[in-house]
Amino acid sequence: MTESTLFTIAFVFYVLALLVYFAALFARRDSWGGAGLVLAIIGFCSHTAALILRTASSGHAPFTNMYESISFLSWAIVLALIIFGRSSRAPRLGPYLMLIVVGLVALASSPLMPKGATPLVPALQSYWLWLHVSVTLLGEAFFAVAFVTSLLYLAADTEEKKARLDALAYRAVAVGFPLFTLGGLIFGMVWAYRAWGRYWSWDPKEVWSLITWFVFALYLHTRIVMGWKGKRSAWIAIGGFLAALFTYFGVNYLLAGLHSYV
Amino acid sequence: MRSAWKFLSSIKLAIVLIILLTVASIVGTLIPQGRSVAEYSARYGSLSGLFMALRLTRLYQSVWYLALLLLFAANTIVCTLSRLGPKWRRVFHAAPEADAKSVTSMRASARFRLPLTLAAARDRVTRRLRARRYRVDESAKGEKISLLARKRRLGWFGSDVVHLGLLVIIAGGFTSGLGSRRAELSLTDGQTADVPHAAFQLRLDKFDTEYYPQGGVKDWKSTVSVIEGGAPVLTRIIEVNEPLTYKGISVYQQSYGWDWTRSRVVLELRKPGDPAVLKTMTLDVGQSAAVESPDVTSVVVRRFVPDFVIGEGNEIQSRSEDPNNPAALVEAWKGEERVFSGWIFAKFPDFGQGHGNDPMSGARTAAAADAPKLAVVLKDYSAAPYSVLEAAQDPGANLIWLGCLLVSGGFFLAFYWPPREIRVVLEGSQGKVDLAAGGHAAKSREAFQAEFDGIFESIRRPE
Repeated sequence: MTESTLFTIAFVFYVLALLVYFAALFARRDSWGGAGLVLAIIGFCSHTAALILRTASSGHAPFTNMYESISFLSWAIVLALIIFGRSSRAPRLGPYLMLIVVGLVALASSPLMPKGATPLVPALQSYWLWLHVSVTLLGEAFFAVAFVTSLLYLAADTEEKKARLDALAYRAVAVGFPLFTLGGLIFGMVWAYRAWGRYWSWDPKEVWSLITWFVFALYLHTRIVMGWKGKRSAWIAIGGFLAALFTYFGVNYLLAGLHSYV
Repeated sequence: MRSAWKFLSSIKLAIVLIILLTVASIVGTLIPQGRSVAEYSARYGSLSGLFMALRLTRLYQSVWYLALLLLFAANTIVCTLSRLGPKWRRVFHAAPEADAKSVTSMRASARFRLPLTLAAARDRVTRRLRARRYRVDESAKGEKISLLARKRRLGWFGSDVVHLGLLVIIAGGFTSGLGSRRAELSLTDGQTADVPHAAFQLRLDKFDTEYYPQGGVKDWKSTVSVIEGGAPVLTRIIEVNEPLTYKGISVYQQSYGWDWTRSRVVLELRKPGDPAVLKTMTLDVGQSAAVESPDVTSVVVRRFVPDFVIGEGNEIQSRSEDPNNPAALVEAWKGEERVFSGWIFAKFPDFGQGHGNDPMSGARTAAAADAPKLAVVLKDYSAAPYSVLEAAQDPGANLIWLGCLLVSGGFFLAFYWPPREIRVVLEGSQGKVDLAAGGHAAKSREAFQAEFDGIFESIRRPE
């Protein structure tokens, strides 16, 4: 099977998972949610195979253009869903997170995204490409979990649900923030120093990752030291994910800079 | 002094500073940084003066942004220190002394009676706790023994280590800003240059550009030798992502280009309307060469530009340093008669052939006004490629890496090394011991509860 077939299979299973998830939600059958997760896992396996095939055929990490990196980000979000969706008792997390995944995979599949694997420009020929991008995108996947749980928090009706979602959002940030710091900022600085001789150039993408970092630092400090929980925490987590999203997409299309590859 | 300390120790200040830094940083990404005055006036009109006065155009180097960063650093130091003392005492000088009631009100708790002597009960409890890697402190008072068992105590200091790391990173940033030295060296093959502020020279032995079969640059490779005291001591290949570091100075592959002033062209001479090639010749720019032919006696290449464009006042210029539209100004003579004069284009071989004179020079001599008696084609061109290397010395970089290590380690401690604490009170009465225990964990409380239950189950019913 080719990479694009496997990618399409993954897409189909993600859509099926989404449908089953929402059916479970509207029919109020929690047990169907388990079926949604199983479908998502099947899609994830096919997606993993697609990424491996692409790496094998292109000879480089599968996140060097927009198509590849969106594909990898959606893969990472499904991974975060598998990790968090199993242990958490938040039946709405799966459906809404899957909605983001399907949206991203649809965007990656759209004709707007050139899918060809292009050979790497010299600046990207480094094992730091693997470390920097994969760890950053994994961190952002957990920010997506925090984003969805925070939105669900704002929409939740009972105190019990709210408490659970608030704790879940914090757990997602507790995983995402260290990963984002390590991959996005630290590995990014190490690589920049190796490739350009400067660990920090105040390039818009760098500044926006710093802004994202500030927002989540704010989340932790207001929460741990000042005891802010619930609504205000939820809004900060939402703002943090949007900042991460802007770092990832917006900077490329709206601001010019060194990170013009992806 | 005291009020300054109080101001700086406030977490609210930290939050205000984080918000201000965030907003300022966003502004700096919306206004392009470090451009020319003309560009700002074109872009922002009358606002440009205000922007420049407020240093919004070099925001991250501005005094006020750096002052915010320094205030943030001072705030971090004071906040961390003012909380560190009490925390340190709580962690390293904690009193094991406790009473049964307060102990059992902790999140996890157990209470039962052991048919043992006080000493035997203490030994059993201590052994079980140590088997689970707890560090046990004890205080005895008559028939009562209090035990304080803790593990992963460093977890309490995760946030402090992160803060220390951030301070080291900020210090590193200022050190780099004040102390780093950079110099660009443009070298063609065989050229040697002094490295500023260094006791050695660099010689470019060879510069190669490798291409992918489907096009696109695969790699730039500069083979360089370090020259010390007139002799080469080290030869290495520098590539993007593979800098050379020698005696504290790192040399990076930064850019490349062609020295077009020293280009060489390949020309093909023909008679107009006749496909047969009279002669193919290779010439350096500025060089004149004799031709043995009845139709032409000498050819000279006056100029070469890689990216031909007609600028203001009909001036011939090169739009860029890239060979987008290579063109050569060529003259050919047959004795005293100029048989060809004009610009010829590598990408448009048929263009410009109709001119018997130089249409751009404006000098129309009687001879040159005639139709050309020769056709000249620019078949190929080349120029000496040069490699741009950057020699950099950044004394702040090592502080940055140290800070990064501390931040990573601190995150690990803060998020994944949660401290656990168990307190046990043993009270002997009539040959038996009343045991009261309680414990809590900073994180993963379910796992801790399981561990706690396991420990006290094994104490109550050994083997």
